[in-house]
Amino acid sequence: MPKLKGFNGEDRYNFLLALVGYLGHRGEVSVEEVSAHFELDANYLVKALKSLNDATAQVSGFEEWPFYIDIDLLDEGVVSMTTAEVIDDVPRLSTRQVAALSAGLSYLSSIPEFAANADIKTLIEKVSSGSGLGRSELISIAPGSIEAGAETLRQAILSNRAVSCEYINRKQEKSVREIEPLRIDLTGGVWYLRGYCPINKAVRNFLIEHMRSIQILDREISDVAAKVGEIEDATYVAEATDTEVTVEVTPEAYRLISEFQTISEPKDVGSGTIRTQIKVGHLPNLGRLIAKYGGAARVIEPAEAREVVRNYALSALGAHPHEPDREVE
Amino acid sequence: MANEESWKPAKTDKSERLFQLTCVLLYSERGLTKRELFHAVDSYRNDLAKSSEDDYALNKLFDRDKRDLRDMGIQVSNPDPKSDPDDMRYAIAADTFLWPEDVKFDAQELQLLNLAAQVWAQASLSSEANRGLVRLRGLGIEPAASDMLGFAPRLRTHEPSFLPLSQAIEERVEVSFDYRKPEGETSKRTVQPWLLRSIDGQWLVMCWDKDQKAVRNFLLKRIVSKVIFRSVQVNEKDSELVRFESPSPEKVQEAIADLEMHTASQSAKLRIKRDSQAWFHFNLLDEQGKDAEIQISYMDLHLLAEELSEYMHDITVLSPPELSKALRSRFEAVANAHA
Repeated sequence: MPKLKGFNGEDRYNFLLALVGYLGHRGEVSVEEVSAHFELDANYLVKALKSLNDATAQVSGFEEWPFYIDIDLLDEGVVSMTTAEVIDDVPRLSTRQVAALSAGLSYLSSIPEFAANADIKTLIEKVSSGSGLGRSELISIAPGSIEAGAETLRQAILSNRAVSCEYINRKQEKSVREIEPLRIDLTGGVWYLRGYCPINKAVRNFLIEHMRSIQILDREISDVAAKVGEIEDATYVAEATDTEVTVEVTPEAYRLISEFQTISEPKDVGSGTIRTQIKVGHLPNLGRLIAKYGGAARVIEPAEAREVVRNYALSALGAHPHEPDREVE
Repeated sequence: MANEESWKPAKTDKSERLFQLTCVLLYSERGLTKRELFHAVDSYRNDLAKSSEDDYALNKLFDRDKRDLRDMGIQVSNPDPKSDPDDMRYAIAADTFLWPEDVKFDAQELQLLNLAAQVWAQASLSSEANRGLVRLRGLGIEPAASDMLGFAPRLRTHEPSFLPLSQAIEERVEVSFDYRKPEGETSKRTVQPWLLRSIDGQWLVMCWDKDQKAVRNFLLKRIVSKVIFRSVQVNEKDSELVRFESPSPEKVQEAIADLEMHTASQSAKLRIKRDSQAWFHFNLLDEQGKDAEIQISYMDLHLLAEELSEYMHDITVLSPPELSKALRSRFEAVANAHA
């Protein structure tokens, strides 16, 4: 993870509080260690420490220095702080911090991979007890359904191995294929595998529910796959051959635009309807993607795309000869 | 030195002021009056020197700072709330400020917290979680190495109502919003929001519906207006937010159980084409034979219709008839919208 270069406002305030609490506990420590601990750029850290040293507090007409940092030692890369015991420990968490962390934990415990970890419940209670206002649950996540292949895939990723599996694609064709698994994504209740496909020579998304009989192979993933750096979070990765499609969505279909890469700033065109442009890799897929929202998502242009959606809906209604859609994966 | 200057945060950065305010308040054991505070904090003192008799702007700034601190979990209190406004003292009580000594984390727990903070795909919640994590790192524990590499669970919120609702739950403020039923009918709801829940990737808000006088669950994606915090006029100038009492944990649990019972009581029967995508979706076994008939329970007919509409060519709805009707009308709406 790249180190943070610094932050402003609330984040800076929050960091200063944590830093002072940390140094109070830790005693003398190297700049390097503090910077690694907070995953923060050392230059920023030194600046923050100097600003602590300069901080004054006027109390009963006297100027007090709450924190004394040994600047000579700091120049040698060592942090040494003496405090007037204003803050000698970490502050409690805010309600929002507790809510965001507990909901994150609650989400982890809803995933079968973590469900066995009984510590999570206790951990949520511990985090909540550290809030200034006591226990408060704002957000909760219901347990999800188990995706059978996920654990095998995770083992494959941890051991750098390729897998083979039976895969059903959007054309309803079953095939046995090899995938070099990189990351399992669980988003909105759907499990995806991000994996390098040696045939297409690219990172692709695979729906884990479309995989069967997953076997971990003896061979390790290829160098190309191993060199794939950061994997984008967007479920959809745009390519140059994509078609630009203008869509309008009402709140019931906002999900559509956050799952796609939008190429223009989404614009509110009145009464909650948002218009934007998305990139679509394979136009025939659009029917299924848009029809899912039952009219809450509407393609404006091009005409070709509108037709794809209309035909898909008509074929679903049985009023049109069945035309199965084609998709790469 | 130029170097010395460059660490200084931007003039508009409030972190320096808030930090100084916190230190000053913690410093004084019996608290400080506003007047004293305005002299004690550099940036207040500078403003004071500039301002005329009327400290209106400075008072506003101080109120905003107090609110910011409270939002960040720092409680500024009045040790003697009955005193005269001019003599009113402000303080931060150590016991509300300091992390409780008996609550400790180990390396494994910190690693789980690290993962929990990464779960949020949404910017504002992700920053709250990370700020919480920064504070906990202050406790000085090194997280254990992750054995969950290669696994990226993400929580997404697509609905603009998510943040205002979570804030309303936190501050226990009544809200109102327009809710559109799947059939298209929109009505205004006035509720006391209790809890945000995610079920199979769908967000809903559990609340007390003031008009229905009953617990109701609303899907966030069907909220089609801004979420309005309710307030009442207390005098000509000021209005006050309408607050409510937190529900007891038992009441919340009861409401969760009620929803589960409701889901269990509704079921649909489907025929699934063998070896189709739907067959895979419902994780059916690869037994010899023909198509399968399955029974599934559902929370909301139209959500089920949305899920099933991806597999229209693979399934036949056997019951209930409302499900077939809902599916048909969804596809009719799509065809009409693209005519």
